[in-house]
Amino acid sequence: MKDDYLWDPSSAPDPEVERLERMLGRLRSNAPAPDVDQVRSAVLLGPRSATLKGSRYVSLRFLVPTLAAAASIVAMIGLTWQTTRGTRSWEVSRMTGQPRIGSAPLAGTGRLGVGQTLVTDAASRARLDVSTIGQATVDTDSRVRLVDTREGHHKLALERGTLHAFITAPPGQFVVDTPSATATDLGCVYTLHVDEDGTGVLSVTAGWVAFEFNGRESFVPAGASARTDPRIGPGTPRYDDAALELQAALDDFDYGTDAAAKARDLQFLLSSATPRDAMTLWHLIARVSPADRAAVIDALGARVPMPTSITREAVMRLDKAALDQWWDALGLRDASWWRKWKGPYPAVVK
Amino acid sequence: MERVLNPVALHRVTDREVSLSGTIRAVAAGDRDAFSQLYADYSRMVHAVLLGRVPRRDVDDLVQDVFVTAYTRIRELREPAAFGGWIATIARNRATDYLRQSREQVELPDELPGGDPIEAETFAVLDVIRGLPEAYRDTLLMRLVEGMSGQEIADRTGLAPGSVRVNLHRGMKLLRDKLGLET
Repeated sequence: MKDDYLWDPSSAPDPEVERLERMLGRLRSNAPAPDVDQVRSAVLLGPRSATLKGSRYVSLRFLVPTLAAAASIVAMIGLTWQTTRGTRSWEVSRMTGQPRIGSAPLAGTGRLGVGQTLVTDAASRARLDVSTIGQATVDTDSRVRLVDTREGHHKLALERGTLHAFITAPPGQFVVDTPSATATDLGCVYTLHVDEDGTGVLSVTAGWVAFEFNGRESFVPAGASARTDPRIGPGTPRYDDAALELQAALDDFDYGTDAAAKARDLQFLLSSATPRDAMTLWHLIARVSPADRAAVIDALGARVPMPTSITREAVMRLDKAALDQWWDALGLRDASWWRKWKGPYPAVVK
Repeated sequence: MERVLNPVALHRVTDREVSLSGTIRAVAAGDRDAFSQLYADYSRMVHAVLLGRVPRRDVDDLVQDVFVTAYTRIRELREPAAFGGWIATIARNRATDYLRQSREQVELPDELPGGDPIEAETFAVLDVIRGLPEAYRDTLLMRLVEGMSGQEIADRTGLAPGSVRVNLHRGMKLLRDKLGLET
């Protein structure tokens, strides 16, 4: 009987209900549970812990048994201090307008806990203290969620809008997820913007940033930018002062669908690239078809000679060590920096 | 005449209650794993209750608020078996507070989060469900959005299985009528 499917999804399906399930199932959530430590901390700190509503915690304090309330003030201060130190949250400060943490307006400063979202509207901006390793400014019309924060690993998800990051930690500690790429900080200053449709652009001011999605990597040095798109992930980085014609051809090559046009774009890129565009050509080696790879190797070799320690054949088969050595020859930064720490994150410290 | 209880059903419910009672005691004692378990078991129900009432863009945040409230007030819960109904009530109250607070703000449509485009048709169907009576709305959202079975809905909400079955069938009939689907 078809009606049984409503009660028991493992029984014979009703096609119409099944179609509604498929459609409405997209509204399902996979948001993580709130962080208990942060909740405990908010309880101990009372209503001034701005991410949680004061009235709840005032009432909770009345529920604390009298004997507990009369316990040593010194012990309470010590406990509060310890809990606050261990809290998995960041301080967030209002810069303009009325940002929100979740659904709660942020008046001055507050704390953004793991799993919580900071939202700014057209008139508001906010500043995040990225643990003890830097700061991030969240521009107007943005939505950013704290995914994780612990010793050596801090992660945000920028769902839309603009984030300016200033990070002083060693490489790899600060990561920002976007719908179409993950930006991993390599000790730098950068701006990341994400549109409603998941496309975005990363612009690096100092240091460099690794931009990655499904194994497709872009290494973006200071003065350069890379677009990103949910269809293919990070685009090929280019210097912001590169010729506009070259930048347009690169966009068409990365995101175009017409094979003949892409072939023309590639020819233009290879012939018009300057020595400064060698960084862009290096990225193209792995992004072109094997048939086009030799031409890209030639073009890059004409701007930055291939190191004698590697072979053309190794580059043709995209040998990582060979590609890294040629990257090092670009004079940007030693690629081992990225390769060395890129790996599983350390286990969660409980 | 004395009511005859189904011993099999009684045994199943008792086991569940014992387990839930232990989880709630552990949460009250600050056990983070127990809290995660409670969240895993009940977050879909809370999400459905909120999704039926507030804009989707704020539902995840409000789910978090509801669980924070539940965590801080869990010692007030006298009867662990009533947890489902208790947290659903917190969710409904939180939705009411939210709507009261946002009354004077400009109402935005349910936006499309980056990278997760959801068709207008999905939101149109959601709007129709939001217009159904509360009992049908919540139950249908738990079934169609959250993928919960009828028995699971009964277990989580504390409603009688027969009531859930009726709500599902009547709600679905109303939904089909409003969407112009053939029954």
